[in-house]
Amino acid sequence: MKNDVRERRTAHGLAQGELAHALAVSRQTINSIETGRYTPSLPLAIAIAHFFGTTVEEIFHADHVEE
Amino acid sequence: MQTTSRNNRQYWGTLALGAGIGVVYLVGFVIGGKPLDGVVSLAIMVGFTGGVALIARRSETVRGLLDHRDERISGIDLRATAVTALAMIAVVLVGFVVDIARGGSGWPWYLIGAVGGLAYIAAVTIFRVRG
Repeated sequence: MKNDVRERRTAHGLAQGELAHALAVSRQTINSIETGRYTPSLPLAIAIAHFFGTTVEEIFHADHVEE
Repeated sequence: MQTTSRNNRQYWGTLALGAGIGVVYLVGFVIGGKPLDGVVSLAIMVGFTGGVALIARRSETVRGLLDHRDERISGIDLRATAVTALAMIAVVLVGFVVDIARGGSGWPWYLIGAVGGLAYIAAVTIFRVRG
């Protein structure tokens, strides 16, 4: 699943560790999400979306869903 | 996601469990008349627990395994536990077969296998009911 977490994080001037701290997860998890190696749970996806003031579907893009 | 205080309780609880197991070993050895072996076992467990605590200060993964704060690391922990269980099942099955092939009764392998099987059935039932 592709996502825009890295783009939004850098746009906010945040390091991975800072975003990880804000979301109460590890820096490794943020890195894994950004590189697409880990798909977060729905609660974490919602927390990420809330953090950036947007919706889950604006950040996460399912590969099989046509837009 | 969970609260920090709960995560801290899990962190210290896991470390305390390690040391507590050492105390149980000590009591067992004392009852068995080998207090020195008990002290050595306790020292090993306390040393191991302390080592893990030190590593956890530098490793996100180890800390995550202790406090379960991170859902990804908790998932890794769950899968690693499943792999460990498979390895233990293999050992129990091989141990049982080797024992009966030597003319033994299969004790205590069949008991361990039965406990594992019942625990699995109970866990599936409970998790299915809870959704």
